[in-house]
Order: sequence, then structure tokens, then C-alpha cells
Amino acid sequence: MFARLANGNVAPKRVIEGQATNLSRTMHGIAYDAIHDEIVIPVALGGAVLVFKADAAGEVPPLRAIQGTRTRLVRPHTVAVDPVNNEILTADPSMRAVVVFERTANGNVAPKRVISGPATGLLDIVGLDVDPIRNVIVAASRKGNGDKVGIFVFDRLANGDVAPKQFIGGPNSKLAHFRQVTIDPATGNIFLAQQNTRMKQMEAYVLDKPREGFKLKDEDDDDSDSGRLDTMGFVAVYAPDDNGDIPPRAIIKGPGIRLAGAAGVALNTKKKEIIAVGGNGFQTFLLPDFFRALKKPGSTNQQP
Amino acid sequence: MRRIAVTVAAALVLLFAGSQPSPQARAADSRDPIEDLLAEDCVDGTAMAIAQAASRLPQEGGVASDEWPPHAIGGVIPPIRSVSDPFPTFDGIALDTENDRVILSDENRHSLLVYARSAGGSSSDPTEPVQWVFGPKTRLGYIAGVEVDPKRREFYTVNNDSGDLMTVFSYDDHGNVQPRRTLSLPHQSWDVSLAPRRDEIVISVQQSNALSFYKRGATGTAAPIRTIRGLATELEDPHGTFFDEAHNEIITANHGNWTQIRPYTPYDPIVTDVGEYKSGAFHPSAITFHAADASGDVSPLRTIEGDLTGLNWPMGIDVDLTHDEIAVANYGDSSVRIFRRGDKGSVQPVRVLRGALTQIVGPVSVAIDTKHDELWVANYGDHTAVVFPRTASGNVRPKRTIRNAPKDTPTCGFTNASAAAYDSKRDEILVPN
Repeated sequence: MFARLANGNVAPKRVIEGQATNLSRTMHGIAYDAIHDEIVIPVALGGAVLVFKADAAGEVPPLRAIQGTRTRLVRPHTVAVDPVNNEILTADPSMRAVVVFERTANGNVAPKRVISGPATGLLDIVGLDVDPIRNVIVAASRKGNGDKVGIFVFDRLANGDVAPKQFIGGPNSKLAHFRQVTIDPATGNIFLAQQNTRMKQMEAYVLDKPREGFKLKDEDDDDSDSGRLDTMGFVAVYAPDDNGDIPPRAIIKGPGIRLAGAAGVALNTKKKEIIAVGGNGFQTFLLPDFFRALKKPGSTNQQP
Repeated sequence: MRRIAVTVAAALVLLFAGSQPSPQARAADSRDPIEDLLAEDCVDGTAMAIAQAASRLPQEGGVASDEWPPHAIGGVIPPIRSVSDPFPTFDGIALDTENDRVILSDENRHSLLVYARSAGGSSSDPTEPVQWVFGPKTRLGYIAGVEVDPKRREFYTVNNDSGDLMTVFSYDDHGNVQPRRTLSLPHQSWDVSLAPRRDEIVISVQQSNALSFYKRGATGTAAPIRTIRGLATELEDPHGTFFDEAHNEIITANHGNWTQIRPYTPYDPIVTDVGEYKSGAFHPSAITFHAADASGDVSPLRTIEGDLTGLNWPMGIDVDLTHDEIAVANYGDSSVRIFRRGDKGSVQPVRVLRGALTQIVGPVSVAIDTKHDELWVANYGDHTAVVFPRTASGNVRPKRTIRNAPKDTPTCGFTNASAAAYDSKRDEILVPN
């Protein structure tokens, strides 16, 4: 946890870590519940979702842990919290699913709803947020062949093998190797962090066996934090009703984003700040225009 | 300061290069804006090198173009604040007492630093490495464990994230160089240990809770010659591993987290026959001992585990075959714990190094030097490696310190962070690792 005004090479104000926390060093999501003052964390290597008091520090156990055979969790990657409807949502790329639990769920509990199946188009789900005002769930999912790589919008109460009501993706979107999504509750604007406009590199192994047909990439065909400016990542912003193969309505790109890799994104709506995290650092951008209702594609997007 | 200003200016110009005229048009116009900028009054080698390198990058059709996305607000925008650590952070360590070198992996800047074995002291300044492997050609990512082969004068490291490679370098390699050879590994491989007589290496793999064995010289996409994996193995988020040829054992430090691995990447099908579902679990940290010839879902020969051990996120380990002891970098409580090699169950360590005087802060790896009777500890949390007498115990000062940054330089503590949240009550930014 860093002070909002932290700048430069600074140590965190406090850290939650150690055996008693049940955390691991592989966590790809986080959500803050401002109403109940709690932090929600997925633990990929423990097949669990943990909830901590927001002021926790040091080696403290979680308040609650969702884990066990009824949960069906395998490798939860990202989380969101809906404090209005009292739900915790997680996306599990191994389940190929978005899974919804009661906010106060603890222990070996079954999910309330699961969005999964061929009709959903979901596969490698790496970003997730919920908008309790517009009643939608937004998931960012990737597929290696380039089909259905983008942002999926579902009805908040969707359950089972259902098609998304909106999908943003396609060659014009330049969406490829992205991760976290977050929603501005006031406008419904969707913010997405993308590390690179090239697809995530194929892994050499499937489980513990070499992947059939895998070929090592050329030396200059490097990974997401390469220095290539033409494929650098960005933070993209979309309007809540956006749909189809469209470019972002607003964007942050440039050397700052390239440095961070833009894997994660968080919003300070009061100060109109956007936090982009990636690689081994994070950066804060001051952009009040990004927190206004964005105009439709084709317009000049100039603000009133 | 002038150097920084020029470098940044050149980089900014390059970012706008996508909207500049085509190379052909540029040739007709002899006034290249980059050259103009650099020619003004403050040309230096660094800025020119960056300008020249960037001019070779593809400039059309990419996100660098001012034309994309059309009609969007925003664009190339500088941050108002930026948090990152510009210095290396030590992770793995390997000691070569034959050639008097110590090799440390740097997870933060993706480099390998080699120091003289006798390096370090009480200075507050950074210690100068004798060799530094660093740059895009090296293919080093978020590297963790390190191993050394003194006979062949080679050292190995493992990309824990980003790249899924083991890379091998020579003592003659320095700077931005290609590895002598590479081997593709499972994602989240963490440590590597060499068995010279068997001519094998063992790799610990976090996400599949496995130990994979390869021939020492394996390259490319060579498959493991055997793998220890499964519920019976008690491998649970394995980190440091040591191939003990003398006793025909593999000794491994485990964090205790466990979950089933199923296909999860964007390249795997949505429906796969994955067998019976097993839920995730949290177990205590443990040190496991497996037969070196074991394969498949086999039980450990013995484990060191339980309240008396004090194990807490154990990372790197090393084995002292002369004195029959195991040293463990115990990240969770910033200690180093020494056990008897033959220990089993819930046992107290024979020695513990811990406390403010030790300067052990977030240790990730250890190395025992029986030739010079020393114990090395690589700190992830403090920009240092500290060296003690081998039998040091308690809250004692190190003999000497190797620094990769000036004394008291903070560390952000990131390890490829990829998410964030904002705590509006405390005005804090939350980042999981």
C-alpha cells in the first residue's frame, strides 16, 4: 500500500505478507470495498479468494476465505466487489468462467451464479468489474487465435452459458494483450489496461508437458515489456454502451505507459486520477476529461 | 542533468515520429527534426544512440501514430507521479569458490550481476560488479533462481515470469549479449540446481507444483526426462530446490499453497479432459526430500514441517554437505534458518539468523561457502547481499555487505505487478504482487 502522493523510488507504507495471510506471491487482481472497508484478493496458486480488513498490515490472517470443493475455483485471476448487491465476483481462466459469490461468503461455499460456456465467448479472463448502477458485468478475455479478444459486457444477473450483450474487439480496437478493467461508477466509462498490441506470447508448456508444435520466437520477437514503440501498450477508455470493432474513445499512451506496461488500472474518481501499474512500477495521470460522459465514435469527442 | 534533459527530449521527439513524413519524404527534407534537436547545443552520445535506435523502429500503423485512435481524447500524456525502483534487486544467488565469483539475479532490472567472491565491505556506495549481463538480447525476464557450473564456467538462471526460459551464460559474457543456450520451461519455473555427476538439472515449478528434470545441456524445446508431480508429492508452491547427489535426494522449499493446474492460457481449448476436480488448499510451509530418481506422483522421503520449524514463505535453500546442514532463506520473517540435513517433522532449527543487526530484509536466497566458512544471504527487500561467518547465529552484524544501490535506497517491492485499486478512505494505492 502506497500513499497516493508517492513519487519516485519509495517503499510502501504497509505490506500484508507472510504465511498466516494465506497469500502467495502470485496475485493478479485486487478490489477495494469502500462501503465495508475491505480488500478482496484472488490467490491463484491457492484456488481461493481472500478478504482482509482494509487497514490490515503485516502477517495477519484474512477475515474470510472462499476455498473448497463447492466453490469450483481453480486459479482465480481477478476480482471485483459489488457492495450495493453484496456480491464478490471473480474470474478464473482455468474455469473459463466468471463466478459470483455472496459478499460475506466464507469457506467452502457454492457460487450464486457462474457465467461460462461457448456462447459466452470467454476464455482467458484477465479483467473484471461490475457496475451496480447500470447492472452490468464487464470482463476482459483473450483468445490466442485473435477471435473474441476484447471486452465482454454481460447483464449483471447473467447466469450460465449466455452471450454477452456487448462486445468490444477486433482489428480496429487494437485490443490484444490486456489485463485489468475498471469502471467509473459515475459515467459508466470502462477503463482497460493493455500491455501490448501484440497477443500474449504462447507458453511453451501445457501443464507439465511441452506444447505440441511450439516454436521458440525469434530473438527480436520479444515479450510484452519490449521497447518497441509501435506495439506499446496503453490505457483505453470506452463509453458504457460501446459495442463492436471500435477504437478507444480516450487513450493514455506514450513513454510513461510503456515504462509501466499498463497491466493494471485503478481510478481515483474524486481527484480525477488514473493509476496505471505494470512491470515493476506504477504511474498516476491527471485527466478530468476521462471522467466525463464520452461522445460517440466519429464525433470529435470534444467535451462541452 | 543536461544529459537527462536531452535524452528525454529525444525520446519525446521519437514518439511523435509516427506522424512525421515518410522516410522518402524525409530524405528530400534534409532537416531531420531529431538531428536538429540534437545538433542545437547539447549533443551527447546517449541521446544520439537513442535517436538512432528509435529511428530504426517501424513507425507506421502502430499505436505510436498520432492518427490513432481517431478523434480520441488524450494521447501521449506524461504522468504526474511515477513510482519505480531504478536499481537492481537481488533474488537468486550462486557461489563459485573455484573461480572466486558470486552470481546474483536481479529481478527488477532483469539482469545478472557477478561479483568477486571477496567483494563487499562496509561502504555505503554500490559495489561494482566484475560482470553484468543486462539488456534485451539476454532474454532475461523476471528471473529468480541462479546456478553455476564452475567447471564449464557457466551460470544459469530461470525466468519465473515473462519468457519461460532457462538461459545460460559464460564467464566471458558481459553486457547485452545473447545467452549461450536457452531451454523452454513451464511457466512459473523458479529455481534450478545442477547435478554434475548425473549431468542433469532439476527445475522447481510453482504453478504445477512440480520438479522437472532435464539433461544439463538440453536446449530449445527439449522435454523433461522425468517429472515429480501430484498430490502425494507434497510439493506445494515450490521455490528453492537443491540436487543433493551425495545422498541421492532433491531438497525443496515449499510455501504451502496448492491448487490444481488446468489449461488456462488463451491458446488452450475451452473444454479439456482435466480429470477429477481437486480444490485449492493452504498448508504450512515445508521442506520436502524426494528420491532423486523419483518420477510421477510419489511421496517425499521425509519433510521438515510444523510450528517448531518457523518456516514462513521459505525461498532459496542451500545444502552444506560438509557439515550436513541446510540453510533456508525465510522470507516471511526475514530470517535465515539452519536445519540438520537429516531432520524430519516439526523440529527447531539448529541456528537462526534474525534481527535488526543482521540486516536481513526479505531474504530470497542463501549460499554456503564451506571453503571460506561463510554464509551469503541475498536480500530482496534491501538492495543488499550480506555475508556472515558460516556458524553465525542470532542478531549479529554481517562481516560485509554487497550493495546494488546506495545505502538506505528504498525498494518498491514489486515483482511484475499487474493490478491496482484505490483505497478512498486512506488515500492509498493498493498493488498486489
